Amino acid sequence: MEFGPIWRALLRNKGGAILIALQIAVTMAIMVNSIAIMQERATNMQRPSGMDEANTLTFASISFAADADLRATYINDLEMLRNTPGVINAVGTNSFPLRGGGWSMGLQTEPGEDMGGVGAAIYFGDEHMIETFDVELIDGENFSPEQVVFLDPDNFRWEPYVIVTEALAKTLFPDEEGSVVGKTAYINQNDPVQIIGVIDQLQAPWQGWDDVEHALFSPVKRAEGFARYVVRTEPGMRDELLPQLEEMLASADKTRLIRGAQTFDEVREGAYLGDSAMIKILGFVITLLTIITGLGIVGLASFNVSRRTRQIGIRRALGATKPAIMRYFMLENFMISSVGVIVGGALAIGLNIFMVETFALTPMAWWVVPVAMIILWLVGQAAVAGPARRATRIAPSIATRSG
Amino acid sequence: MLKMTDVSKIYRTDTVETHALREFSLTVDEGEFVSVTGPSGSGKTTFLNIAGLLEEMTSGTYELDGRDISKLNDRERSRVRNEKIGFIFQSFNLIPELNIFDNVDVPLRYRGLNAAERKRRIEESLDMVGLASRLKHQPAQLSGGQQQRVAIARALAGEPRFLLADEPTGNLDTHMADSVLDLLSEINSNGVTIIMVTHELTLADRAKRNIFVRDGQVTDAAPEFLRAANG
Amino acid sequence: MFRYYLKLGALSIRANPALSALMVAAIAIGIGACMTIFTIQHMMGSNPIPHKSAQLRHVQMDSWSDANPYNDGANPPIQLTYTDARNLLAAEQAVRQIATFKSGRIVEPEDPDELPYTVSGRATSKDFFAMFDVPFKYGSAWDAAADLSEEFVVVISEPLNERMFGGEDSTGRRITMNGDTFRIVGVLDTWSPVVKFYDLNNNPHEPVEDTFFPFSTAMANEYGNEGNTNCWKPPEGGDRAAFLNSECIWIQFWVEIPDQAAETQYMNYLDAYVEQQKELGRFPRPLDNRLPDVEEWMILNEVVDDDVSVLLGLAVLFLIVCLLNTIGLLLAKVMRRTKDISLRRALGASKASLFSQYIIEAGMIGVAGGLLGIGTTWLGLLGIRNLFNRFDFVEKLTHMDWSMTALAIVLAVVSALAAALYPTWRACQVTPASQLRIQ
Repeated sequence: MEFGPIWRALLRNKGGAILIALQIAVTMAIMVNSIAIMQERATNMQRPSGMDEANTLTFASISFAADADLRATYINDLEMLRNTPGVINAVGTNSFPLRGGGWSMGLQTEPGEDMGGVGAAIYFGDEHMIETFDVELIDGENFSPEQVVFLDPDNFRWEPYVIVTEALAKTLFPDEEGSVVGKTAYINQNDPVQIIGVIDQLQAPWQGWDDVEHALFSPVKRAEGFARYVVRTEPGMRDELLPQLEEMLASADKTRLIRGAQTFDEVREGAYLGDSAMIKILGFVITLLTIITGLGIVGLASFNVSRRTRQIGIRRALGATKPAIMRYFMLENFMISSVGVIVGGALAIGLNIFMVETFALTPMAWWVVPVAMIILWLVGQAAVAGPARRATRIAPSIATRSG
Repeated sequence: MLKMTDVSKIYRTDTVETHALREFSLTVDEGEFVSVTGPSGSGKTTFLNIAGLLEEMTSGTYELDGRDISKLNDRERSRVRNEKIGFIFQSFNLIPELNIFDNVDVPLRYRGLNAAERKRRIEESLDMVGLASRLKHQPAQLSGGQQQRVAIARALAGEPRFLLADEPTGNLDTHMADSVLDLLSEINSNGVTIIMVTHELTLADRAKRNIFVRDGQVTDAAPEFLRAANG
Repeated sequence: MFRYYLKLGALSIRANPALSALMVAAIAIGIGACMTIFTIQHMMGSNPIPHKSAQLRHVQMDSWSDANPYNDGANPPIQLTYTDARNLLAAEQAVRQIATFKSGRIVEPEDPDELPYTVSGRATSKDFFAMFDVPFKYGSAWDAAADLSEEFVVVISEPLNERMFGGEDSTGRRITMNGDTFRIVGVLDTWSPVVKFYDLNNNPHEPVEDTFFPFSTAMANEYGNEGNTNCWKPPEGGDRAAFLNSECIWIQFWVEIPDQAAETQYMNYLDAYVEQQKELGRFPRPLDNRLPDVEEWMILNEVVDDDVSVLLGLAVLFLIVCLLNTIGLLLAKVMRRTKDISLRRALGASKASLFSQYIIEAGMIGVAGGLLGIGTTWLGLLGIRNLFNRFDFVEKLTHMDWSMTALAIVLAVVSALAAALYPTWRACQVTPASQLRIQ
């Protein structure tokens, strides 16, 4: 049983073999690109937001009464929240990682118009942000209470201090080897802000943004009609505290609504809903596809076995052992699959290049192609095993029967 | 009726060229019952295939019922097969999924006859072979002799001028073989020309004329040794 | 003959139940995958106002920075500054024109025991309703006077009317939102365009707003914008007046252009307007005014998600695999039946009649695959709905209408026939004599 005779026999009866090889090739192209996309999405989903997600919850307070004392509500709310047992800390801010909406500004190292600048997400809040967001201050210091001010809606201006993420600091000052603390950047083209602290990592609110690691804290308390509270609890207290805090704030002040209460797990689920759905859909697609291709191989192999019954009987009569018959079909399938996965590899790479260019996907990792090859080889062998075993049961006496 | 002149058939593969028929000439008149015998590989099957328009010849001329067959296209050849020729095979070649009625119906369908006419012909021909009561049976439910009778009915249903039988009794025991041959003789006596290919000389004797094929050509008579061996 | 071939097809399908079932299943699954994604793509990008979409134009003017052109200069900004929106609105150079932005509200029920609740809202001009063929159940749009004198009038959606007034005719009644008391002038009838084409800023498939009130009223009372705001240079000052005078874009502006002449005329007006603004030191970029219609607007705003396009491509490949599978199985079937074919040829079947026989058999498998494919598509859409059950709008996108159902069957039959071509051709190549001598 050698490659040569099997190969030549295949060449003499190409139709079915070419169809299987083609089917495997296209299956491979789909599989490789699906795995590449799934892997890209899974990698995205694994990126840390920087927060203590397991123990964080959030909700918004919306004031609607025309004469409401917004600052008093803001101060009261936070005081109540921070004094609740089980709450580690709380902050009023405009947004948080994975929220999907927020405020970004351009930062530059020299003042002036038309400079471009580095995009950065802005999180407004007071000196409690570092503890509430569970980020680590790796350089410099936190805001002092004196640096934090209330926003004046009739006269907005940028406060002169910021705390930036390490990634943002590196992009702003790529050549700086020492500390960036004390350096000045310009926001809104001309407004100077001094970096007083650097935190390790915190994502911007948009997970799909190119500059997702660029974020900064600005020491502003935004007591407008709309306040977004982020609360970090003791481990295990979150689910218990969520309805309790919601109720507490709602009943404390009836001139506003508490809306959008959710745990950070829910925030993450919402932010990555598209990605996780894509992973599920593609996973389902390649499973189904593999089954169909496998069944197609079973069908054609069964047909080949029944068509070659006499030939197999003659081989057996001439002394071929059962394993030899088995090997014949397994090897034949291996050759067809090999042609399929080689053509498929080329198709897959071509399709990936096309998709990367058209849809701005990340180019696939090198290992996806060999992994798909191995999967399809195994599927082929598994699919052909049944019909091949049936072939071994063909009696040698078939050879002596007439016609 | 049938006139072959210098018909040759060459099978070519990449390496081998086989002359199955060499300048084969034969005339069969209307109403004849001719047997064609010859050893294995003599070319008698090739003759049958060409006579039945199942294969095309390499060279020569072939007139069937006064019509030159060699220039017909596939559709016309199919038409001639369907209307003028009836086939009887050694292995019956009934379609296992179809019942007896539907099997006999197959050539009539291709002729495009209406349902009533088809039904009449099917019943008539099955009646003639003595199987009128088995319309709804499946081929597998019949004995070999009965199956061959169905095949004959199928050949007759088209009311062909010309019946080609290829070892019609090869798969049957002696008793059944005799009754099939009786049937063929009866059909012949109704005016249908029959050519029967066989390697059994005892069968060949039932025909009115014997043709012997050897090395792709007609020879006048069977050599004695063959006659002796068979008979 | 057609009925005879149908009968033969049925017999053949019954003779190989496993093989036939596999083929039908493969086609059904391939069709299901394709049609599921195609339905979503079709719904996502379907024209929500086909009879009028060519007349509805969004105004685009390049007010952006010369140093950092908007979208790298590929197209002008997709919204307008307040300054330009106000000027264009006042000029009234089109048959109809509207400036609009999204602004959510909080409804304060009259019953003090009832809790306030949020509703979506849109500031717009009276022409909005006539322009976009918005259906009314009760009342009508507000009049020009309401726009001029910044009246507190509101048109509410059918669901909100249901919630507040139990579906009664509520025109003339009052509704207090964020401290302002509005008079209801109209209640919409069911209106749920699959694409919320007039504002594609955030989710292009979200439901239409619950409340619509005059743009002038919203501006006079300083209603905030809930959509996107983009600026290329900072406002000159920290208050609202500075923001309104700034180069920040945040307003959608639509005009109705009935014909080519009107388009030329409006374009001329826009060009003149921009030239005039250039003299005032604005619009540093070269003149680039555009009036995309609804379909062009949807393409520019990429309402069809890239992921859906990727999935559609993969689904088409998936169908190809299923078809290759079908071709292989049909071929196996033909090869197994060479004896039957050969016999039929001997009995007088021409190549053409064999071709018909096998194509009709494949067609039957195609129809079966298509019918089953409707089922698999339905299951696929159900699956997608479940994956996105957080979002109500997905319901609209996963709706399989008659055209999609018909397309599923047509696609299945065409696919099956295409798959049958090669095996059928092979069947026709079987010579009449080849298979008859050996049992």
